[in-house]
Amino acid sequence: MKPPPFDYFAADCIEAAIQALADAGGDGKIIAGGQSLMPMLNFRLLRPSILIDINRIPDLAYVRDDGDEIRIGPLTRHRILETSDLIAKQFPVLHEAMGYVAHLAIRNRGTIGGSLSHADPAAELPMMSLLLDARLEVQSNAGRRTIEARDFFLGALTTALEDGDMLVEVRLPKLREETGWAFEEVARRSGDFALASVAVIMDSDGDWVSDIRIGMMGVGETPMRATEAENILTGQRYSEAAVAATVDAIRAAVEPNTDLHASADYRRHLVGILAQQALAKAWDRSRRASR
Amino acid sequence: MTEASTKQVAASREAEELATRPKIVGASVKRTEDPRLLTGKGAYVDDRKAAGMLHVAFRRSDHSHALIKSIDCSAARKADGVVAVFTAEDMSEVNAVFATSRMKNYYATPITGLATDKVRYVGEPVVGVIARSRYLAEDALELLDIAYEPLAVVIDPEEAAKPSSALLHEEAGTNVLCSREFKTGDAEAAIANAAVRVSGRFRFHRKTPTAMENRTYLAEYEPGRDELTLYTSSQVPGIIRDALSDALDMPGSQLRVIAPDVGGGFGGKASLYPEEIFVAFAARRLGCAVKWTSDRMEDLAATSQGFDQIVDAELALDAAGNAVALKAEVIGDVGAYSIYPWTAVIEPVQVVSFLPGPYKIANYHGRVRGVATSKPPTGPYRGVGRPTSTFVTERLMDMAAQRLGMDPVALRLRNMIQPDEFPHRIGSGIIWDQCAFTECLNAACAQVDYPNLRARQAEARAAGRWFGIGVACYAELTGIGSRISVAPGMPINTGTETAKIAIDSTGAVTAAFGVTAMGQGLETTLAQVVAEHLGGRVKDIRVIQGDSAAVPNATGSYASRSAVLAGGAATLAAKEVKEKIIRAASHLLETAPEDLIVEDGKVSVVGTDRALTFRQLARAVYLEMGRIPADKREELTSTKTYDPVFGTSATAAHLAVVEINPDTYEIKLERFVVAEDCGRLINPMIVDGQVHGGVAQGIGAALYEEVVYNDEGQNVTASLVDYIIPTATEVPPIDVVHIEAESVTTLNGFRGMGEGGTIGAPAAVANAVADAVAPLGIDILELPISPERLFRLIENSKNHKDPSHGHET
Repeated sequence: MKPPPFDYFAADCIEAAIQALADAGGDGKIIAGGQSLMPMLNFRLLRPSILIDINRIPDLAYVRDDGDEIRIGPLTRHRILETSDLIAKQFPVLHEAMGYVAHLAIRNRGTIGGSLSHADPAAELPMMSLLLDARLEVQSNAGRRTIEARDFFLGALTTALEDGDMLVEVRLPKLREETGWAFEEVARRSGDFALASVAVIMDSDGDWVSDIRIGMMGVGETPMRATEAENILTGQRYSEAAVAATVDAIRAAVEPNTDLHASADYRRHLVGILAQQALAKAWDRSRRASR
Repeated sequence: MTEASTKQVAASREAEELATRPKIVGASVKRTEDPRLLTGKGAYVDDRKAAGMLHVAFRRSDHSHALIKSIDCSAARKADGVVAVFTAEDMSEVNAVFATSRMKNYYATPITGLATDKVRYVGEPVVGVIARSRYLAEDALELLDIAYEPLAVVIDPEEAAKPSSALLHEEAGTNVLCSREFKTGDAEAAIANAAVRVSGRFRFHRKTPTAMENRTYLAEYEPGRDELTLYTSSQVPGIIRDALSDALDMPGSQLRVIAPDVGGGFGGKASLYPEEIFVAFAARRLGCAVKWTSDRMEDLAATSQGFDQIVDAELALDAAGNAVALKAEVIGDVGAYSIYPWTAVIEPVQVVSFLPGPYKIANYHGRVRGVATSKPPTGPYRGVGRPTSTFVTERLMDMAAQRLGMDPVALRLRNMIQPDEFPHRIGSGIIWDQCAFTECLNAACAQVDYPNLRARQAEARAAGRWFGIGVACYAELTGIGSRISVAPGMPINTGTETAKIAIDSTGAVTAAFGVTAMGQGLETTLAQVVAEHLGGRVKDIRVIQGDSAAVPNATGSYASRSAVLAGGAATLAAKEVKEKIIRAASHLLETAPEDLIVEDGKVSVVGTDRALTFRQLARAVYLEMGRIPADKREELTSTKTYDPVFGTSATAAHLAVVEINPDTYEIKLERFVVAEDCGRLINPMIVDGQVHGGVAQGIGAALYEEVVYNDEGQNVTASLVDYIIPTATEVPPIDVVHIEAESVTTLNGFRGMGEGGTIGAPAAVANAVADAVAPLGIDILELPISPERLFRLIENSKNHKDPSHGHET
């Protein structure tokens, strides 16, 4: 388990990093926390010609309040997000989810840019970016552009990033303070990849659900939004029957994989249970907040 | 001084007191090896660097079963940094090693450094590349060109046992490498006439020991003297020395095998490995030091595995709940080779040997077949066979209790061998010397207030919660002597150990042993035994272990033997040295021997302040000529060997409390209690630690761990993402209750206890899970029981299919 030979370049600015990426012609790989990349190198699953280290680029790790949005630097470690007061206040659902990201040692090194670029379908941050309608800022030699999270995840470990692209910022539009939320996950052991997970953010208006977003992971090739289920519940009076219909829609929509740890059937069962629990919690929180 | 450091000083003073007070055996002395091991100052094999050391990487088979048609090494030989590339052809001068046995119906497979002509499991080493660094060696592996001719896959043990199956070892004429039968009374007739019968097809899935330190071997070679020293992360350096002497045709005087600090073994480091043979061969061939360090992928692919059995078993009882007969048919999947020295027999035969467990069952019939498949060999793994036998028997007991409407604890107490009924011979022929079966079970129940716990369960059930309580009771043979073989018919002696104790001219005490610590604290416990019997101080006694040169013959640490055997040898040798101390002091202090006492590292005249420290005494004996008459001078040394002849047993009762989430089927262990009897405790803190670790591994076996080979013979659990072991968050608080009924058959009354945790826990957890889901009419017959398997059992029972099967169909 030793990596194949590669060149190494420590970039001191974003421009140098993307230039090195461009020079590598698709064979370069950016290394940030290395928590997924290093094992893949050691298994020789990846053979980049060059590793471009962005850890020494100044000012790539931050969580900033920017009016309507929170802006997060790509080199921000999971542990910083987990312990950020700003995140806890603006996105309590993200704050909660961060505690489920692997183990503390991994959270100390792993970065948001790395996690999103790696795009594991059972990882929390890709799902959170989808739930929170993140805008992903991407830079290459051709310039800078924004990719919406919903357009970013194309398949397992596959994103809309092109060869010369580097993810340079994550922007999260703020939620209303009264927005209800919930994050539910089942894994084999604490810190393992989710067998299934559901996150909900919900706004209520009296007995009515005025707005809802449901994110899921571990139940498909990418993290997913339960779009049909969201449509069923939006504008509806919150009721057991409405929740049941939502859960049915979720179970019908997912096409989970069978692997060593869980069958597709069990994952489908789980995602429904977790959705039920998450909906109840988010509803409760939104009602309590608006009282 | 801060409060914390004041506390620290106080604590160390307390430990010092414990370490020096007269009654040292029985004290919770802090582990003397821990300051070294916990601050990164341990010296494991991989920490060792020799001048000019080369590194090995193995190209391993990616085929399950195939003929090797050709190997082209030419490109690899030319690669950057590569010094040599060896195949089996290059190793023709190395003798194959055979795990022979006097047992009938047994075939010993050849063990070689590299696969010859044929590969028999994915991960089997085929080519060894030796280069200036491991990186360069691994790069060169990719340049090897091996042509295989795939053969029929031999992966399902039941299929492999059929005459129609492809054969892994053609010369054996069968894949059934061993078979055995035990019979007492007439089980079939007793079952036919019994009032109550419970049965099942039990499946205990394959596990791997996953020691924290992977296997590592470093061979250093002195060409001028043809002397080879192998540093190995082994539990059995003595066995390795003897085996390599045969394999390499070298006398033991030129071959030294040293196990330095070893980071866990659990049985996975208790056998001879092809890589060990290869590294020794390569160092001698190349005339320089050669090192191989297993990575985790190699460890999961090629370290011995265990616990892979299918057991069809039936228990019969009379209407009052007295067990009358037990019958079992066992298939053990032993993997591709019969491992040295234990043979493929060791684990499957232990399953049928231990099935009757702690119960009086007049009629017993157990049959076992060990079947070769294209998987790594099975070897000893903490508990060896008994985790499975205990799982089966203890599940049957619970199933019987449920059928009879009896409390499972009451049913057990009724059937257990009672305190006045020892020694007792069980149906397989094992004789229990004196076991604390009822005492342990009663103690475990008292610890949890069992009636109250059952009342809590009733309340929980009424509230719709899935709450379960499970117990498991067992005994194991430990510290066994020369009259019983660790594996049936095995030709090597596993029944003795030797201690060599010396006080040198500086007055320092060195105690050398052939046993090896893999983390279990022998440096402390053996020092305690020596200190107690010598009159020394624990901290002054230097324990040397794991060195084949320390004593003429030794095997190592396995089968829960080191405390009993090395502890016994230490006692004998320490007592003799103490007698010599007294004789010498009697001259020096001009006092009658009976007026001298030796304690705390000095010898003193009773009732006076006249005393000699060991240092003063040693100087007088060795250096200050004339102080003792020349014909009375004795070296302050002793070498003693201890043989417990038959050995002893160890007993425990485990009790698990679980709660299952009825929506997600997540299984949470609430509590775990172990009441155990390991005889006289040497160090209660170390015993607790061993119990905790064993229980954690047993929880792994019950809920998480399973090595999975797919139909093509590929290991699909080849990383720790897929082979999951419990972490601290999955292990509940564990209470340990010590019974301390001293063994009547061993010196000091010690019993071995290192394996027990892993034996009881799987069964206790399985019973607790089964108890939690009993209202659903589900039985647990397969371990590990994962949420997925539980989901399937529940779905199947909802659909009125077979509720006992957790397989995906």
